[in-house]
Parts: sequence; C-alpha cells; structure tokens
Amino acid sequence: MSPPMIAAHRLLEEVIASLRNVIAPAIADPYPKSQAYMAAVILEFVARQVEERHDIDEEKTHALTDLFHDVNSLLSGKAPAVANTSDQEARLSRLIEWLYAEKERLGPETFTAANQRVRAALRQLLDQELKIAGKAE
Amino acid sequence: MPQSTQDKIITYLQSKLPLAQDLSLSQFIQTAVGWSHEIYVFYAHWKENGQEVTRGFCLRKDPGVGLLRGLSDLKEQFRVIQALEPTSAPTPKAYWIEEDPALLGGPFFIMEKIEGEATNPWSKVGKQFYAEAAKRGKLPRSFIEALASLHNLDWRAVGLDFIGVPGPGTDFALREVAKWESLIQQSSRKPEPVLTELLQWLKANAPKTQRLAFVHGAYRTGNLMIKDDLITAIIDWELQVIGDPMYDVAYVLSDLNREGSPLLSCVVEREFFIDTYQEMTGLTIDFDACRYYEILYMMRSTAFWLSASGLFAEGKNKDLRLARTTYSVPVVLDMAAKALGF
Repeated sequence: MSPPMIAAHRLLEEVIASLRNVIAPAIADPYPKSQAYMAAVILEFVARQVEERHDIDEEKTHALTDLFHDVNSLLSGKAPAVANTSDQEARLSRLIEWLYAEKERLGPETFTAANQRVRAALRQLLDQELKIAGKAE
Repeated sequence: MPQSTQDKIITYLQSKLPLAQDLSLSQFIQTAVGWSHEIYVFYAHWKENGQEVTRGFCLRKDPGVGLLRGLSDLKEQFRVIQALEPTSAPTPKAYWIEEDPALLGGPFFIMEKIEGEATNPWSKVGKQFYAEAAKRGKLPRSFIEALASLHNLDWRAVGLDFIGVPGPGTDFALREVAKWESLIQQSSRKPEPVLTELLQWLKANAPKTQRLAFVHGAYRTGNLMIKDDLITAIIDWELQVIGDPMYDVAYVLSDLNREGSPLLSCVVEREFFIDTYQEMTGLTIDFDACRYYEILYMMRSTAFWLSASGLFAEGKNKDLRLARTTYSVPVVLDMAAKALGF
C-alpha cells in the first residue's frame, strides 16, 4: 500500500512558509523580493480556491436560476429578448443592460423592483466569490 | 556576447551627452514600484571639460504589454512632465524620449532622478512612516499644497490642453466611464454581472462638471516622492486628464487609499484636508460628486485588476503581482456594491 498523499493545502502551507520566512527575507533586490512575497500571497488564495470551488459553483447556479424565475414574474410579459445561454452570468449581464436601456418604458416601479431583485442576486454571487477572495490575513 | 541593459543605456546617454567622457553608471536598480512600466533608477558619472559630473536619472520604459494596454501613451507622459516643468507643481525634469523600440526592447524616456522616497503606504513600515510624518505636521500640508498646485494651474497657458478637453455637463464623467469600460473590453473577459450593474449605474448617474482643472488621476501617497517631510515630486503621470478637480479630491477622500488608517491617504486628517484644500484652491468640495467619483474609482480599480490578471492569464506578462489581482476583483466589486446599497 502506498503512503497517503499529503493534502494539497498542507503542501501549499509549506511552500508559503518557505517563501515568507526563508526565501523572501534572503533576497536583497527589491523586485525579486516583492515577487517572492507575492507568490506566497497568491498560494494562500489558491489553497482556498482548490477546496471551495465546487460549492461556490453550485450556490451561484441556484442564485441565478431563482433570479431568472423571479424576474420573469416581476416583468410579467415584458421580459427581455435575451437568448437562453448556458453562460448564466453573461445572460444576467445582458438582462441588467436591458433593464437600464428600458428604464423609461418599464416605469419606475417595475424598474426598481427588478433592479432590487437583480441586486439581491448580485450580492449572493459576490458573497460566493468572496469565499475565495476574502482577505488572506 | 549580447549587450546588457546598462551597456545599452550608456551607449544611449553617450549619444545625448556628446561632451561626456568615461561615462559609467552606478546604483543601477530596477524598482519594484510601477505596474505598467519598467522603471530603472541609476546615477551616471562622466567627465566633461575636465570636471567630474554625477547626475541621477530615472528611465521609464514601455514594456509593450502594460497594465493600461492601449490606454497608456509614453509620449503623452513625457510631454506632460515637460509642460509642468516651468510651473509650481513639483515634477522631475524631462530629458529625452526614445520612440525606437530597437534600443531597449521598447520605447522609453529618461527624466531626472528626484531625491527622496515614494514610500509604499500599504506596508507596515510605510503606514508607520506616514503616521509619524502626520504627527510632525509638515507632510500633510505639503500633500495638500502639491495637489492645489495642480488644480490651480492655468493648464491652457502651459499647453496641457493637448491631452483632451471634455465638453460641458456630464461629458467628463462619461468619458472616464467609457475609457475604463474600453480597458475592460480589451481585457477580453466574459461579462461580469456586478460590474455590468456598476457600469450601468455610473452611466445613468454621471454628475455635471462645475469647473475644469488639470487632474492627476491617481493622487495618493505612493505616487509622491518625499524628502524631509516635503513632496519633492508628483510621479506616475499616466492617468492625468483635464477634468473635474473633484475627481482627485474624491481619490484623496476615498477609503480605497487608506486601508485601515484613520488618515486620508494614510497621511492627512480629513477635516484638515477639507479646510486647507478649500483655502488653497478657493474651491468648495462637492461631496455628492466625490461620492460618484469614488464609485467610479471602484469600477476603474476593477478594470485595472481585470486587465492585469488578464495579461498574466494570456501569458503576456510574468509579474506575479498581476496574477494576485484576480482575487482583488470581487473585493473591490464588493466595496462598490456596498456603496450602491447592496
């Protein structure tokens, strides 16, 4: 039986520690020194990205599916002619542009309701992204 | 054996200083500052008419794939620094521009090396430096004086209108939005919905410009050379525009530039800045316009980071700082979302 593989995050921890505590302090020139510290910062993000990416995609898909359902109801027949694409985030971007372009025609009440619903979904998307991109320190 | 960068610079300087003999360089460093250009600082030593001469130089080179992509114009930067030379704005002297990429692998210009340090305000050491300087009192005033020297400038008289003059009303704000949106498009990323909402809001809410001024576009500590608690030069001439002076004021007032420090730009107290800036310029700060521009800066930061991480992902630039910025995109979009109330 082969020995268990060392977890990726553990390996990354070691690389990060080495970069921060051994390599970077030993470099005198400012440019390569800053590159070494930056490599450590990036690897901290990568460690979290490797573990959390799957959950994040699922959460984002749920948020977008719910959003498109709700917006269709809110717009009641005035829905934009946005092509149904597999790229849900591109579809949402086109919906946002359409809402602003049609703001006058939709009227303030409908526009505000749809915009608020969109913004609520955007907040959900951002919260997922921030699971990876939140400050490492 | 191929010529080193230093040897190539010596050859170039020799062509510009025909009376110089025994020309050599010392303290030659490629700095870690600067995101869109390669920056080299060094001293040149030579003999001229029997006298020993030493002069500090700073060389700024276009790497061809800089952060601002097609928006960066090295020749414009050189002309701006030249135009500012006779003014009270603290700037380096511009010496020579070389547009032939064959010499160093890209166009470059050479300017005076200004004595002092552009201390990075984001580091622990930098924050401490600025906090202590703030207590001593000289640097905060110098920070405001240098900004006022730009905003009080008769930009037409010194020929700075060549960089473009916006029309009345909302033209300036909309031009800026369009400029940074074009950088986003050049970065060839798929649409980002939060950014789309931000761009649409900015287009729908652009403020009218009350007065045009010469605007630096990135006025903060880190872009200012400091010696003995005085600003010796405003640097990083890449984002300047003729536009609303509130654009610079908003940048100073913004949380974007103080990362936890209670001081604006890590160096000046808010009330002191507001009172002194208004006194030095005769302008009244428009806080509503500043709020708009702060949100515009968040969009601009997003554009920077998308461009930077895109350059790395496309294999056009190997600088790891650019790779790191991919994680900055949601952070700055989160700031913008909160500013817009979601």
